[in-house]
Amino acid sequence: MKTSILGAALVAATAFAGAAHADKLDDIISSGILRCAVVLDFPPMGMRDAQNNPIGFDVDYCNDLAAALGVTAEIVETPFPERIPALMAGRVDVGVASTSDTLERAKTVGMSIPYYAFENAVVAREGVEMADWEGMKGKTVGATAGTYEAIWLEGKINEWGEGTFRPYQTQADVFLALSQGQLDATVSTVEVANANVASGNFPGIRVVDKAPMVPDYVSLFTMRQEYGLLNYLNLFVNQQVRTGRYAELYTKWVGEGEPANLSIPGVYR
Amino acid sequence: MFGYTFQWKQALARLPQMLDGAIVTMQIAVLSMLIGIVLAILLTTFRLSGSRVLGGVATTWVEVARNTPALFQIYMAHFGLGSFGIHLSPYLSLLVGITFNNAGYLAENFRGALKAIPDTQARAGRSLGMTALQSFRHIVMPQMLRIAFLPMTNQMVWAVLMTSLGVTVGMNTDLFGVTQALNALTFRTFELFAIAAVIFYLIVKVIQTAARLIAWRLFRY
Repeated sequence: MKTSILGAALVAATAFAGAAHADKLDDIISSGILRCAVVLDFPPMGMRDAQNNPIGFDVDYCNDLAAALGVTAEIVETPFPERIPALMAGRVDVGVASTSDTLERAKTVGMSIPYYAFENAVVAREGVEMADWEGMKGKTVGATAGTYEAIWLEGKINEWGEGTFRPYQTQADVFLALSQGQLDATVSTVEVANANVASGNFPGIRVVDKAPMVPDYVSLFTMRQEYGLLNYLNLFVNQQVRTGRYAELYTKWVGEGEPANLSIPGVYR
Repeated sequence: MFGYTFQWKQALARLPQMLDGAIVTMQIAVLSMLIGIVLAILLTTFRLSGSRVLGGVATTWVEVARNTPALFQIYMAHFGLGSFGIHLSPYLSLLVGITFNNAGYLAENFRGALKAIPDTQARAGRSLGMTALQSFRHIVMPQMLRIAFLPMTNQMVWAVLMTSLGVTVGMNTDLFGVTQALNALTFRTFELFAIAAVIFYLIVKVIQTAARLIAWRLFRY
């Protein structure tokens, strides 16, 4: 009698201990679903096709990650400012959302090693006199709230002491405002700028110059304390590069050319 | 499970910026109410005028203002007018959107208040030798404003809360805009929005207390 009670207690304790040690990585594998926050108004990284299905570099990247984990990917459309709140609220497991790895954000979430690097371009409305990026001085400019380029642009406006900065909630609103004439110029990633100019959805806009910014390294992110999953994400990014999948996705979504180098000489990460 | 660690100190350090935003919020709400009251009186007069054109304008305004989302009205003021080459700044777009909404609701409040005033009041004025306008201005309108006072207070509260919709048109100087900008920078979402909610609550409480005091002064005989 006593032995069986002791046995049952041991089984219960082991089960409890097992449950207590389960982390996010285990949770995802056992649930069979990986929920990725992806921005879908950020071509070619995230967008929708004619049938309204999510497509793009980030969408494929999430699918690859889900395949590696042996689970099904679920794309959760998440606007830029809501990426990290969506994670904190438990609506997604991982962000595959072109998220710059700023130190400020790293106080709140855990970021993987960079999985992509952007350069930024200055896009202006036709009719606005602007020969290079410095032409933005004194102009009404805007960008998507909370993005790397928005933070840089607002900083420039403050540094110049003239001009106006307007943050919009989505990339589409920024380009709509630019096309309509509400804004004189914006800064966005070269990929997005070229895609939007070529799309014809925003008439009367042109790429003026490259913005003199440090390349915008973007990371996958998850909860800060989920070391198991963060380790897995780091290895996954590494595998994507070494297997040639990174270059393959680059050619598929961005075009010909070399994808940016994701490592920085002289530092560990 | 629950994996959020609160960092109140980091969020509270931004309180001065948020209070500056609260001043802009109040400014927009007060301006939109003042202009809204003038427009609402005008719309009410249009409806009483007997002119089909003026009456049609007033009815359309009220119908659109009351039956479409405030977000749509603000968005249209910015991007809708923008399609026709009319460019309003985020501040103006927000002000125009809220004022449009205020005027529509207040016009209905005024109409209800007018119905509560017996016709005999205006006729009494006319029999004393006043013109129709004088009788409306000196006898009917003061009573109308008094009856509509409490619904006006509600609208003022609603105007304060509506300012939060300005972020959709690039507004970043009001309380919600400042909070959203700080959130985008630091992602201390819960803490920042909790502080903003408390500030909004206090603003509304001040408005309600002030309204109660003014009503006490107005309604005593």
